[in-house]
Amino acid sequence: MDKKGQIKEKQGIISIRMKLLAIIVPIVVALMVALVLVAYRTSAEIIESYSKNLLESSVENQSAQIEGWLNENIEAFQAVKAAIENTKPDDGQLQAILDGYYNYNSNYPNGLYIADSGGKVFRASEAPADIGNPEDATWYQEGLTRVNMAVGSAYVNAQGENVISASGILHDGSGKTRVISADMTLDRISIIVNGFIEMKSAESFLVDGRDGTILANRDQSLINKKIGGEGSSPFQKQVGEQITARNYEFGVLDGNMTVFKKVAGTDWILVSYVPRQVVLADLDRLRTIMVVISAVSILLLCLVIERVTHVVISPVKKLTAVITAMTDGDFTVTVNSKGRDEIAVMSRSVEQFIHSMKEMISSMGNISSRLGEQADTSDNMSRQMETAASIQSESMGELNSTVDQLSLSVYEIAENATKLAGVVADTKEDSDHVEQKMRETVEVSKKGRQDMERVGEELENIRVSIRSLEEAVNKVGTASGEIVSIVQLIGNIAEETNLLSLNASIEAARAGEAGRGFAVVASEIGKLANNSTDSVDHISKLTEEVNSLVADAVRQTGESADDIGRSSELIHTAIDTFEKIFVNIQETSELIGNVVGKINEVDEVAANVAAISEEQAASSDEILATSENMLEQAKGIARNSANVAEESKSLTASSEELADQVKLFRI
Amino acid sequence: MKKLAGLLLAMAGLMACFCGCGGKGGSDAGGNVKIYLSLSSADTFRTVLVNSAKETAEENGATLDVYEANDSIEVQVEQIKQAVSEGYDVIMCSPVDTDTTLELEAIAGDTPIVFFNSCPDESRLEPDKYMYVGSDEGVAGQYQAEYILSEMSGKDEINVAILTGPNSHSATEGRTGQLKNTLNDSGKKINYVFQDHADWDQAKAEEYFSVFLSTGQECDVVACNNDSMALGVIDACKKGGITDVPILGIDATQDGCAAIVAGDMAFTVYQSATGQGESAVKAAIALGSGGSAEGLEGISEDGKYVWVPFEKVDSTNVEKYQ
Repeated sequence: MDKKGQIKEKQGIISIRMKLLAIIVPIVVALMVALVLVAYRTSAEIIESYSKNLLESSVENQSAQIEGWLNENIEAFQAVKAAIENTKPDDGQLQAILDGYYNYNSNYPNGLYIADSGGKVFRASEAPADIGNPEDATWYQEGLTRVNMAVGSAYVNAQGENVISASGILHDGSGKTRVISADMTLDRISIIVNGFIEMKSAESFLVDGRDGTILANRDQSLINKKIGGEGSSPFQKQVGEQITARNYEFGVLDGNMTVFKKVAGTDWILVSYVPRQVVLADLDRLRTIMVVISAVSILLLCLVIERVTHVVISPVKKLTAVITAMTDGDFTVTVNSKGRDEIAVMSRSVEQFIHSMKEMISSMGNISSRLGEQADTSDNMSRQMETAASIQSESMGELNSTVDQLSLSVYEIAENATKLAGVVADTKEDSDHVEQKMRETVEVSKKGRQDMERVGEELENIRVSIRSLEEAVNKVGTASGEIVSIVQLIGNIAEETNLLSLNASIEAARAGEAGRGFAVVASEIGKLANNSTDSVDHISKLTEEVNSLVADAVRQTGESADDIGRSSELIHTAIDTFEKIFVNIQETSELIGNVVGKINEVDEVAANVAAISEEQAASSDEILATSENMLEQAKGIARNSANVAEESKSLTASSEELADQVKLFRI
Repeated sequence: MKKLAGLLLAMAGLMACFCGCGGKGGSDAGGNVKIYLSLSSADTFRTVLVNSAKETAEENGATLDVYEANDSIEVQVEQIKQAVSEGYDVIMCSPVDTDTTLELEAIAGDTPIVFFNSCPDESRLEPDKYMYVGSDEGVAGQYQAEYILSEMSGKDEINVAILTGPNSHSATEGRTGQLKNTLNDSGKKINYVFQDHADWDQAKAEEYFSVFLSTGQECDVVACNNDSMALGVIDACKKGGITDVPILGIDATQDGCAAIVAGDMAFTVYQSATGQGESAVKAAIALGSGGSAEGLEGISEDGKYVWVPFEKVDSTNVEKYQ
């Protein structure tokens, strides 16, 4: 290896030191950032919550103090009022009392004053003269709505000051409606209100909850103005909205943490606020400090890692030099293997390695020369092998084409067999169908024969019935014959009777008068005998008609019997014919059954043939595949042996090169 | 290995400790809750309240023991200590002085307290721990305002006179504030022709209202923070020969109801002692069994209060309250 390559390699490697820094520094930075963020968030929450509590307790105390301050003043006013009401002073005494309270207390320097419905005003003599028309004054109108003095709304007095009055009805028994009042300036109340603030950087202002008038504010220009009116700040507007909605909940309004507190006993609302920014200012400092500390720690960490890796890595560097020398083939180097750490163990191993390498390289020199010889031999061998393999490959090729043709033929056979099997199967189906039809025909003819037989039987019955009918008619003939003879007998009797009656008539005529009666009887008997003869004639005629009818009937019956006899014969002939047909059909059916059986056998055979020829086709495929495989292998062998020849050539070359290389090592 | 095993053992121990500390000996919901009731002192209203509480506790299978503090904050503190040492599940307390609330809560420790009758400052209350059961004073004022607005619905401008309890008294603030807010929100022009604190007192109210009448101002209606002051106003009106001004009170006292029957007073609002006793015990059972008061009737949105509704009383239903 040349010097250039060495330098290149040195530039390409990434040192362990860099790796350690690349892993540890980002993790530490991420952790620090997370820590700072979490700490900042948590602290912000805690500080905000503390500030809120502080602000709330501050406003609580502040409102209590304002309440106290206000009550103190009002109680003082009330005391004066009570004194006036109890003592019922006259005008002079009243003036003296009012004078006494002028400048008595700095909260209400002008003292108290009284006005009545008549417009008369009592006030301290030194107080400003003009208090305007009392009837129109806010303090007077509001004073009329209560007996106990209480503070009312803010207004501008005649001196142009923003004031608020505590007023009430004075019922001193004077009979007039009087109102007593005392003024406190809003400027003073502002100072008092903001003087009571307990929290640093917090500010307060006092708002009249009834109409939203600002009663006290550090910014005097806002005093006695409506909160959130025209031109006021967004904060004031938001406070105004909350007060209008009577929502006195804590809130962050326009970046100010704001609390509201009603001053007990009044309609006043004390609003105290501190900018969130101010509250969090310390926190921002904390954040800066934490960021700086984090950055310094990270730098320190980098430095420490750099130094530590340097110290730890120095023996590794020495070892690297040794190994680099070894890479160049120089095994004459020595290793410093003192120490008990991992690197010392490594150094000792390297030492052993050098030792064993030295031995190995010297033996390798020997081996390589021997290897050269062997390579030459193997080169020859492989050449021979290559020739043999080519010949084998050619033969295999031929075999393969033969097998291929064989396979094709087998395939044709298989195809034909399958086709045959298909045809046979179709035939079988048809013959099955025929058999089925034949069976049905046999059934139908069987039924026909039965029906014919039944018709024959019926005809026989009819013939028998006709025979008996014939007999019956013949009997009727005989009977009518008998009737004829009986009638003839009657006819004879009648004739004899007639003769007797003639005789009797003759005898009677002979007897004369005595036989007159008997002559009548004889003539009557004669008539009777004549009638009987007529009737006999009539009957005889009828009987003859009957006889002729009976004879007709007998003849016709005989004809019918003959007809039936002929039909019966015809039917029997038909039955016989049917019988023959039936037997024929039956035989045909059996024959067809046989045919179907044979076809079935053919079908099975054809299916078998098809299956066998398919198997054969498959086998021939396998044979083909095998022979192709063999061909491939034979070709492979040829190729391989060519390769081996190549290899053994290069082996020879390599062994020569090896011998050269081994010579490079210095041992 | 040994170190690891030791660490695991220590952790297991810690876990067991946490679990052990977490569950307070389970008393079943409803039944077997032991309630300690510390009563500031017994007046008519509170006696009715306590009797109703006893009944409710009995119905729900809870034990309720009543102790009277005789209006002494020292006695009340001693009672809370006793309740804790004797293992009561929950304390019901009508504070002698609401300023001692924080002290009472500190002594009670983990035992929840249901305050009643006298309402501690809101900041002292916590949902499911320190609750107040009572009637929302504001609602009484609101009822008065609603009565006025419905009676005077034809007028666009109403002249109202108000007589209140002592300034800074919580009932005064609640009742008056909500009365005025409701009136102001009606959109009508409301003139407060007279507003003064007669401190619940009948004689004072009569005196003040007489003074007001002497000024000759017009007045359409008088709303008083309680019945006694309303009776005072009635006296003043009778002496002044005024009969057509409706006078409104709160509390539905016997005298107040009688005045309604007589036609002197128009309207009053009844605070239900029975209802308060019942609700207070229900809240106590809920907290004492380790549960939550959530879902109780009348519970406020922030979960600190259980409000028992007031009832409106006028001539149509006054006989129910006599």
